[in-house]
Amino acid sequence: MRKEVKQAIGGLIMVSPSFVLLLVIVVIPIVQSFVTSLSNGEGGYDLSRYQFLFTDKGMRSNILFTLKVTVVSCALVLLVSYSLALYMRFSSGKLVDWIRKTYMIPLFIPGVIATYGLMNLLGNHGWLARLLLPLGMTLPRLIFDEKGIVIANIWFNIPFATMLLSSALTGIPASIIESARDTGAGKLRIFLRFIFPLSYKTFLVALTFVFMGVIGSFTAPFLLGPNAPQMLGVSMQQVFGVFQEREQAAAMAFFTFLLCSVLGYFYIRSMAGEEAANR
Amino acid sequence: MSVQLAVRGLTKRYKTGEGVTGINLEVNKGELVTLLGPSGCGKTTVLRGIGGFLEPDAGEILIEGKSVTKLPPEKRPTSMVFQSYNLWPHMSVYDNLAFGLKIRGMPKADIKTAVSDALRLVRLPGAEKKYPTQLSGGQQQRVALARSLLLKPAVLLLDEPFSALDAKLRHEMREELRDIQTQTGLTMVLVTHDQDEALSLSNRIIEMNHGHIEQIAQPQRIYNEPETLYVAQFIGKMNFLEGVVDGERIRVGELSWPNAKRLSGKVKVAVRPEDVGLNASSNHQDGQGQGLPGKIKQIMILGHYAEVSVDMDRHGTLKAFQSKEAIERLRTGESVRVTLASMIAYPND
Repeated sequence: MRKEVKQAIGGLIMVSPSFVLLLVIVVIPIVQSFVTSLSNGEGGYDLSRYQFLFTDKGMRSNILFTLKVTVVSCALVLLVSYSLALYMRFSSGKLVDWIRKTYMIPLFIPGVIATYGLMNLLGNHGWLARLLLPLGMTLPRLIFDEKGIVIANIWFNIPFATMLLSSALTGIPASIIESARDTGAGKLRIFLRFIFPLSYKTFLVALTFVFMGVIGSFTAPFLLGPNAPQMLGVSMQQVFGVFQEREQAAAMAFFTFLLCSVLGYFYIRSMAGEEAANR
Repeated sequence: MSVQLAVRGLTKRYKTGEGVTGINLEVNKGELVTLLGPSGCGKTTVLRGIGGFLEPDAGEILIEGKSVTKLPPEKRPTSMVFQSYNLWPHMSVYDNLAFGLKIRGMPKADIKTAVSDALRLVRLPGAEKKYPTQLSGGQQQRVALARSLLLKPAVLLLDEPFSALDAKLRHEMREELRDIQTQTGLTMVLVTHDQDEALSLSNRIIEMNHGHIEQIAQPQRIYNEPETLYVAQFIGKMNFLEGVVDGERIRVGELSWPNAKRLSGKVKVAVRPEDVGLNASSNHQDGQGQGLPGKIKQIMILGHYAEVSVDMDRHGTLKAFQSKEAIERLRTGESVRVTLASMIAYPND
């Protein structure tokens, strides 16, 4: 057997476990969901489940609500995380040390516990409301509302996003910034022409992770969100578990997958573009 | 000749204890001055102080007569070529070169011409569309040099620009830098620990040690007349012998020289290997002729000359550079008489 053929077979054998795993836990469930979502419940196949998803008033508002919460959460998480990462990269002192030591803490608190904590903190009769009461102030409605979900998303996602961005910014050599300053660039120009372009790949990775995590989240929207409209994850659980409409739930799952795929596509396209530029 | 750069009493101490103290120097317009010294001597601190990359504890920096001490790097009329090139990897060569000109508001057509001219000057014509990762180390350093040259700085700062290059390329780049300096007439301050680089490129050398200046002089003078024992040890190869002041003369064995510096007691006598003469002992009938007795330990042929190691007994080992013709008369293990054509004496600290 030729050496090239042996190498090719060896490569295939090595890659097969991960391929099988991907097939079993990702590809097959997606295909199954899609096939199930096409079933009209009368023995036939059509797009009626998708028609319902986009024409039903409740479903439409769930989709819009999900997109709104996801976009706001992503924007706030990345804004806070990028600011923290920038501050840690370009500043020093006790505050930086303190941030560096504490920003990962939310990662070590289970989601359901953190959500319970937020309910106790931000609820109508929570600690914050009781602290504000003697001052004659009333806490605005934060939980059982989209604001509660956004706050929870910020709590859950900031550590990981900050860690990724911080690592990317640390990877930008100080000498690059120095040479830009030496050429005459001010702070804003350095950020726009050097720091952001040199860290945007990781920014895109962080955005992808936060987007996927938020759009498919369940615990926080279930415990902190309103009864209506609902995030797609909560709505999907109701359609599947309470209303027992398996096909409709499958259509919602497949639609959520498509939403995530859009971001995945942009991510892969930008990576491919960069690789081509480097060749 | 007008003074382009003046550093007055520059002091910067780091927490580690390293840094520089009371540095005073002047660089004339169109001059190439080298800060030379070993790692940690403070030469880069001085350069970064001039470039505005560190805030001095004390002192003043003047460029073209104006104080720039409080100005950040982006406001100073300087430009630095860094040791690690520091090209921006996400920008093409053209964008790397055009960036500074765009900031200065130069019209697009003029930028294009200027970039093209700068690339021709550094012998990289047509490289505009390439990215830094597609260039070799030498090419990257040329682009970095072009980027700085385009800004027409009042003082060009070069921080060990060739240290990452191989020996051959380093030599080529030295010649190119010398040509560019001659063509452009730019004032340059070069930092290096490579004495060959300093000797071959500089109008003047500033020899630094432990955060202070040991000597400022032209290359030939710093080589021939090192003012301190440290400079004598650092620049070029040097032999050191124990000498003693005997009245008005300094004596090493039976050799003696006038005590011009009026030293006293024991002294260190420094002799360049090219000033060491070797005569076979058999030339003297009783073996007691003029010179110090020695025995040839090793002969290393180095192309057009040879380095001869001579065992001098209580004076240790002496190095002597000998011509090809002279070597033919010498053999390893042979006894010789050593003569010293010239020497410099230093107090024996």
